[in-house]
Amino acid sequence: MDANPFAAVAEFWSPLAMKVYIVLMVVAVVVGTLFDVSHKGSGIYFTQRREKSRSAARRQLAGGEAFSLALATIAEAAVSGEFDKTPRRISHLLTMYGFLLNMITTILMVFVYPTVAATPTIVSMLWVLGAVMVLAGGLWFFFFLRANVAHDGDPPWHLGRADLFVGSLLASMAFALVWHFVQSGSPGTLAAYIAFGLYMFFTTLLFVTVPWSKFAHMFFKPTVAYQRRIEEATGSSDLPQPSTQNFIVRS
Amino acid sequence: MARSRKTIRVDADILVVGGGMAGCGATYESRYWGRDLKIVCVEKANIERSGAVAQGLYAINCYMGMQWGENQPEDHVRYARNDLMGLVREDLGYDIARHVDSTVHKFEEWGLPFMRDPKTGRYQREGKWQIMIHGESYKPIVAEAARKAATEVYNRIMVTHLLMDATNPNRVAGAVGFNVRTGDFYVFRARAVIVAAGGASHIFKPRAVGEGMGRTWYAPWSSASAYALPIQVGAKMTQMENRIVLTRFKDGYGPVGAYFLHLKTYTQNGLGEEYEKRWYDDTKALVGDYIDRHPVPTCLRNHAILKELAAGRGPIRMVTKEAFQDPHKETVGWENFLGMTIGQAVVWASQNIDPKYVNPELTTSEPYVMGSHATCSGAWASGPEDYAPAEYQWGYNRMMTVDGLFGAGDTIGGTAHKFSSGSFTEGRIAAKAAVRYVMDLGNAQPRVGEQECRDLEQVIYQPLENYRVGSNEIVAGTVSPSYLLPISGLQRLEKIMDEYVGGISTNYMTNGVLLGRGLELLAMLKEDCAHLGAKDLHQLQRAWELQHRLLASESVTRHTLFREETRWPGYYYRGDHMKLDDENWHCFTLSRYDRNTGKWDMEKAPVYHIID
Amino acid sequence: MPTFADMTRCDGCGECVDICPSDIMHIDPVYRRSYNVEPNMCWECYSCVKYCPQHAIDVRGYADFAPLGHKVRVLREPEKGAVSWKIKFRDGREKNFVSPIRTTPWGSIKSPVEYDPPRPEDFAKQELAHEPDALNIRGGLPTLRPDQLKRGPL
Repeated sequence: MDANPFAAVAEFWSPLAMKVYIVLMVVAVVVGTLFDVSHKGSGIYFTQRREKSRSAARRQLAGGEAFSLALATIAEAAVSGEFDKTPRRISHLLTMYGFLLNMITTILMVFVYPTVAATPTIVSMLWVLGAVMVLAGGLWFFFFLRANVAHDGDPPWHLGRADLFVGSLLASMAFALVWHFVQSGSPGTLAAYIAFGLYMFFTTLLFVTVPWSKFAHMFFKPTVAYQRRIEEATGSSDLPQPSTQNFIVRS
Repeated sequence: MARSRKTIRVDADILVVGGGMAGCGATYESRYWGRDLKIVCVEKANIERSGAVAQGLYAINCYMGMQWGENQPEDHVRYARNDLMGLVREDLGYDIARHVDSTVHKFEEWGLPFMRDPKTGRYQREGKWQIMIHGESYKPIVAEAARKAATEVYNRIMVTHLLMDATNPNRVAGAVGFNVRTGDFYVFRARAVIVAAGGASHIFKPRAVGEGMGRTWYAPWSSASAYALPIQVGAKMTQMENRIVLTRFKDGYGPVGAYFLHLKTYTQNGLGEEYEKRWYDDTKALVGDYIDRHPVPTCLRNHAILKELAAGRGPIRMVTKEAFQDPHKETVGWENFLGMTIGQAVVWASQNIDPKYVNPELTTSEPYVMGSHATCSGAWASGPEDYAPAEYQWGYNRMMTVDGLFGAGDTIGGTAHKFSSGSFTEGRIAAKAAVRYVMDLGNAQPRVGEQECRDLEQVIYQPLENYRVGSNEIVAGTVSPSYLLPISGLQRLEKIMDEYVGGISTNYMTNGVLLGRGLELLAMLKEDCAHLGAKDLHQLQRAWELQHRLLASESVTRHTLFREETRWPGYYYRGDHMKLDDENWHCFTLSRYDRNTGKWDMEKAPVYHIID
Repeated sequence: MPTFADMTRCDGCGECVDICPSDIMHIDPVYRRSYNVEPNMCWECYSCVKYCPQHAIDVRGYADFAPLGHKVRVLREPEKGAVSWKIKFRDGREKNFVSPIRTTPWGSIKSPVEYDPPRPEDFAKQELAHEPDALNIRGGLPTLRPDQLKRGPL
C-alpha cells in the first residue's frame, strides 16, 4: 500500500486527463466561491460590513499593525484556535491537516511523480496518512461532535444538507483508501474500478457543491476573523471593553 | 430517520419537579437533612438559567433584616395581608418570613454580590422589604448549590403528569415525562414529590402579539405546570382567581420598584398631573377602608390608573427627569434593567428614550397567575406545626391535600410577597418536611402502576403521531382540519381568557355570564387537545405546556366564577358583583378537580389573622 | 427576531442550545449553526448571548415595537466575576456599564454534606439548615403561639 496509487490509473485514463480533472476541481472551487459571493450577494454584504466598521473606527492602525493582525489570524487558524471546545478543536485539526496532506500529495503524485518507481515512498504514505487523519477527525466529528447530534437530539447517523461538505469529504477519503487497498491487492478488477468510481464521484461532489455546502466558509471565516481583530484594535467593535476589575474577592 | 424511544426509569427518595429558585432551595435542603437519600431534581430546561430568574434580579424583595432590627416576620405578614386585601395564609407567610433571612445570608456567603449602604454598612435597602443586589448571576449561583446537593439533576426532561400510588388513591408515587432532546420516556418513582414548577404566563392574551409576545412580564416558559400537575391528581387549589396585573414600563415591562423606592420617582397622567388622589372616593365606594391602608394595595394603584386612562387622560408616565440628573441614580436606573429585564433597555435604546430627558410611559400588563409576587394563587398546603391553626394542618408542612405531594414557590397558594428569596426558602421548608415524611415511611415504597405508565406514554407522544399521520392530508403549511398546532391552541386559549375572564380587551372586566361562556369555549379547546399536532420534540414540549396552561385556566375561570365579589379592583372586576364583600367573602376559595368524573368541587375556607 | 446568530461567527458549538430556558435556540439544518426558531417565545433573557464563546449571538428588539438601529451588547466574564454592557441608541448615543456578578470563585459553594449532619432531635424542630446561626439574631427562630392567630369573620 506504499506505492503511488495514481500511477495505476494511467492504464485506463491518460495522465493528462487526471491533471485536467484536478485543475477543473480547483476551478470549480473558485467559481463556486465567486458564485456564492456575487449571486448570493455575500460580497456586497461583507463590503458593507467592512465600511460600517471603518467608519466606526476610533483610532487608525499603526504601520505594520494590520500585517501582524493578519499573521495572528493565520496563526490562530493554523492551530484551529477559534474552536472553544478541545474535542472539536482536535477533530478539526485532524481533518484540516489530513485534508491538506492528502490534497498536496495527490497533486504531487499526479503532476510530479507519474510512475510508481519515481514516487518516493514517503509521499504515498503521507497520502494514506492524510486520508486516515481525515477519517479519524471526521468520523469522530460526524458521530459524536456535530452540534445537532451532541446538543440537539439528532441520532448519530442523521444526514442533512448541512453535511454535504463533511459527508462528501468523508466518503471521498474512505473510498480513496478502499480503492487504494483493492487496487494494491487485486489490480484491474471490477472491484477496483467500482471503488475508483465511487472515489471520483464523492470527490467531484465535494468540489462542485461549493455554492451549496460550507466549503466556501474555509475562506470567509478567516477573513471575518481578521476583520474582527481589526475592529477590536480600532475600537469599532460593538462589544464592551473587557472589565479591568476582578470582583471575585473571596475564596 | 428517528431513533427508537427508550423508557428510562429513575427511582428517588425525593423528586423535585422544577429547578428554579424554589426547586434549587428544595434540592439543597433535602440533602442537608437526608444525607443518604436519593435526591433527584428534574427540569424541562437547564437549571443553570431556568425559571423566572434567568436574566438575573436587581433586588431581593423579601428580606426582614432581623439582625439589624429592621423588620419582624409579623410585620411582613401584615404587609402581605394588606396588599392582598386581607386574604393571605398568614401562617405560611410568617413561616417564610422567619426563615428568609438565613437564606439571604447564605446567598451572600455563596457569592451573590450585595450592595451596601455606605453610611450604615448594612445591605442597601431599596424599600422596607427590598435590598439591592448585583444579581446577573443569581440563578447560576443558586443552581451551583443545587448541583452540589443533588444525587442527579435531569435537564431537558419535561414532566407532564404526576403518578399516584397504585395501592393508595390519594398518595403520590412519582412522575412521568419526556426528554426534550432524545424523546425518551422517563418514569420517576419517588417516595415524596416536591412540585416547584412555574406559574402561569401566557394564559391571557398579551399586549404584544407579534414577536413581542415573548416579552411577557413573567417568563414565557412559566407554563402553569405548578398548577396543572397538582390539579390533575386532585390536590386542592386556592385563590386561583387572584390573578395579578402589573404596572410596568411600556412594552418592555421593565421593573419600576427601584425607580419608585430608590430613585424616588413618581407618576403623572398624560397632562402632567397627579391623578391618584382624585380616585379616592371612587375606590372607597368599591372597597371601603382598604383604600386607607398604608402602603396603598397594589391592585388599588392599578385601579386608579385604569380609571384615569378610561377618563382619557393617558398615558401614565413616570417622572424620571429629575432623578436621572444624579449620575448614581442614572446608573441604578439602567443597571436595574440590565440585571433583570434587559429587554427594557433594548426598547429604550430602540426608541431613543433617555429618562434624563424624557419621562417614560407606563402601562398595565395582561394578567398572570402565580404565587410569589403581589398575588398568591396556588395549591392549598398544610402549615407549620408549631402554630398553624388545626384547620390548616393535616400533615407535614407544605404538603398538599395529596399525601407525599409537597410544593414550594409559585406552586403554593396564599403566600404572597415571597419573591425569589422567599421561594427558595419555601423550597427549603418543603424539603425538610419531605425528608421527615420519607423517613417516617420507613421502608415503604410507592407502587407505580405499569398500565398507567403505558397509557400515559401513549397520551404523551400522541401529538407527534397526530402530526405525522395528519400531515398526509395537506399539501403543505400550517392549516390542517384534523390537528391543532400548539401555537394555535395557545392563541385560542389566550383569546378566550382575554375576552371572557377579564383580560386587557375588557379592561379586566368579567361577569357570571361571560365566565360561563368562557368555560364552554375552554371545554371545546380541551377536547381539541386530543388532536394537538407536534412536528418535533420542541413542539411536543409546547403541546404539553399548552395543556398545563389550559387546565390552570379552567381552574382560574371557575374560581373567578365562584368568588362573587370584586376583591381586587385593578386586578379584575366582577361586573355583576362590583363591591368588595367582606361579609360573605372574607375567605379563601378552594377547588378540587376529579379527573375521573371531570367535576370540580368548590368551597370556602376561613382566613386566620395574626392578632394585631 | 429577538436573538439572532451571526453567520460568520457561529461555529455550531451548541452552547446556546444547551442554555436556552425557552428551548428556542436550535441547530439550523442547512448550515449546522444556531438560530432562534420561535422569536415570539424569546424573553430576551440574553442567556444564549452571554454563553456564546464566539459572541456570535445578538438581540434585535421585538419588531412589533422596537425600531431598528439599536444595539445592546454584553460581555460576561465569569472568571473576573464581571458583566459589561454597551448600549447603543438608534440615534447613536452610547452608554456603558460594568457590574459585579459574583464575589466567590465558581464551584466554591460548600455542599450541604460538608456541614455536620443534623442531630436526631433537630428533625422535629422548626429550624432549617444552618439555623439559628445563619439568621444572625439573638433569641432563636421566631415563632408564634396558636392562640395568636384568630379566625376571620367567616
